[in-house]
Amino acid sequence: MHKGLLKRLLPHVVLLVFSSAILFPILWMLRVALTNKMNAYQIPPVWGNPNFNNFIEIFADNSFMGYFVNSLSIAIGTTLIALPLAAAMAYSFARYNTGGLPLRLAVLSSQMLPPVILVLPLFSLFLKASLLNTQTGMIIAHITISLPFLAWLLVAFFEGDIVIIEQAARIDGATRLQAFLRITMPIMAPGLLAAGLLSFILSWNEFLFALILSGPQTNTLPVGLSSYQSHRGVDIALLSAAAICAILPVFILLPLMKKHLIKGLSLGAIK
Amino acid sequence: MSEITLRNVSKIYGSDDAAVNNINLDIKDGEFMVLLGPSGCGKSTTLRMIAGLESITAGDIFIDGKLINDIDPAERDLAIVFQNYALYPHMNVAANLAFGLKLRKVPKDQIESRILKTANTLGISELLTRRPRELSGGQQQRVALGRAMVREPVAFLFDEPLSNLDAKLRATMRTELVKLHNDLGTTIIHVTHDQVEAMTMGDRICIMRKGIIEQVGKPLEVYRNPANIFVAGFLASPPMNLIEGSFEQEGDSLKIEVSGITLTIPAHFANAYGNVHSRKDVILGIRPEDIYTDSNDGRYTCMETQVVAVEALGPETIMVVKLPGGKEISARLDRSFRAPIGSALKLYADIERMHLFDPETEKAIVAR
Ligand SMILES: Nc1ncnc2c1ncn2[C@@H]1O[C@H](COP(=O)(O)OP(=O)(O)OP(=O)(O)O)[C@@H](O)[C@H]1O
Ligand SMILES: [Mg+2]
Repeated sequence: MHKGLLKRLLPHVVLLVFSSAILFPILWMLRVALTNKMNAYQIPPVWGNPNFNNFIEIFADNSFMGYFVNSLSIAIGTTLIALPLAAAMAYSFARYNTGGLPLRLAVLSSQMLPPVILVLPLFSLFLKASLLNTQTGMIIAHITISLPFLAWLLVAFFEGDIVIIEQAARIDGATRLQAFLRITMPIMAPGLLAAGLLSFILSWNEFLFALILSGPQTNTLPVGLSSYQSHRGVDIALLSAAAICAILPVFILLPLMKKHLIKGLSLGAIK
Repeated sequence: MSEITLRNVSKIYGSDDAAVNNINLDIKDGEFMVLLGPSGCGKSTTLRMIAGLESITAGDIFIDGKLINDIDPAERDLAIVFQNYALYPHMNVAANLAFGLKLRKVPKDQIESRILKTANTLGISELLTRRPRELSGGQQQRVALGRAMVREPVAFLFDEPLSNLDAKLRATMRTELVKLHNDLGTTIIHVTHDQVEAMTMGDRICIMRKGIIEQVGKPLEVYRNPANIFVAGFLASPPMNLIEGSFEQEGDSLKIEVSGITLTIPAHFANAYGNVHSRKDVILGIRPEDIYTDSNDGRYTCMETQVVAVEALGPETIMVVKLPGGKEISARLDRSFRAPIGSALKLYADIERMHLFDPETEKAIVAR
């Protein structure tokens, strides 16, 4: 009886320790964000009366709103372009074995290099093409990160049980296109959605490319936050509020993505 | 309704050996043809080439005399039932059945009546609004069958559709498929590696090995007259006992010596074998069901054996025994027959039903 209880409790205790290691800084940040500059550095924490003044202030602040909008439009732009391209790539790898193993490895290998190696050549290219400090440039840069990763993820989807289901549709009288649009796409939708969310998050969180390739007009949130200053200098409470806003979309999207990713990988059609 | 003809058809995947090697097969209109063979022998590949899901490396396939090598699978008007059914998971059963009809622009009221008719025939009317994932394996199998039937294709291609069912359901579906075939009269090509399916369902069986066809014929014909050692050793379970031996000419009578036993070949066979016994080596085949525990008034040949294993299956007893020369053979005996392991046992072989094979070519010697 006691042993059973211990056995069930132990994993929870371990998980609790680990998750609090991750959660604690975030909760601390939340506390700081809800207080003012004075109370922010107090240890043990002083609560004062929690309020949303910091949040109101950052959204009133043009530079923060600028970062937020930049991040949003770059992440959405990246996803809208990368996802269909990646789906087409993955489909072509999976169905026609395009380029064989070498091409697949080549696509994947771009993910194996440290990003810092890619960013400098990209910088000089963008300089020549006047793409530095432009949203277009940032979207192109983020697509180079998203596209190979998404293609690699989606190949696994397109190579699964869907192959036979598609063949069943072909025998049933569907053209390749009909089978793709009416069978493959609807079945793959959760997987594609998950991939899209992932692409969004990758772009949203990306720091290095944004730091080097963006400029004052195109700074994304991670870059903006790293140097965030209000007109009164560095305000830790304001910064915390801004950071909370920056990670909020990820917090909302992650559980969604997990659900669809699992759905996408297991069709549930074939027992 | 259609006849399907394969002419010198081969399939080579990549740079491998041929998965299907220059096969010729004529499937008649309305015939139930079973493709039987061990795993990897090319059954599915053959079926998929007929369906158009796999390109044909060499040779020609005709449906009703029309060359279909380059015709899109969507236009061949065939139907496949896959081993894992491959239903459309995002559609309910009715939509699964309707999909092919809609693509062919069948009028709506006709689609509905055809779905209902098919669902009734297969006993799946109650399931029409369910999704595939809400069905049992057996129900999914019926839906897959229904999806094939509702289109009224020119021929059905079955790729081991019964192999995922439990033994009892499989037996039921066997009879149902045969009945369905009798009612519809549509050509069926059925791939299986199940002996019983092959023997009971097919008008003819086509036995394949390593990409080639070893023998085609009516089930009992193939059972009675296997064309070679492979077919003899593959069909039926337990399969035919195959024992190496040699011919001996003793005065007037021809004998065969196998594993320490000497069999006298009956005079009327001796003549038939006359032209071959100059070859000394031979492989003798005798089916387990042609071995008995009594001599039938001396007509059967006695063998001194030793019991190695006993499998009491219920309806029958399979006895594995060792011949004096050490070769082990199996005998299919009466269900009540028992003998302790290790004991000596006299068994009697019906030598009139033996088969002889050339050890070099592996082909059967002499058709009776
Ligand atoms: N897509 C493929 N690519 C490469 N080789 C293949 C492919 N499909 C089948 N083969 C090979 O072709 C040969 C025949 O395969 P096939 O699937 O036709 O066998 P089968 O008789 O249906 O076997 P089973 O009873 O196991 O289904 C096998 O050696 C197999 O490995
Ligand atoms: Mg197969």
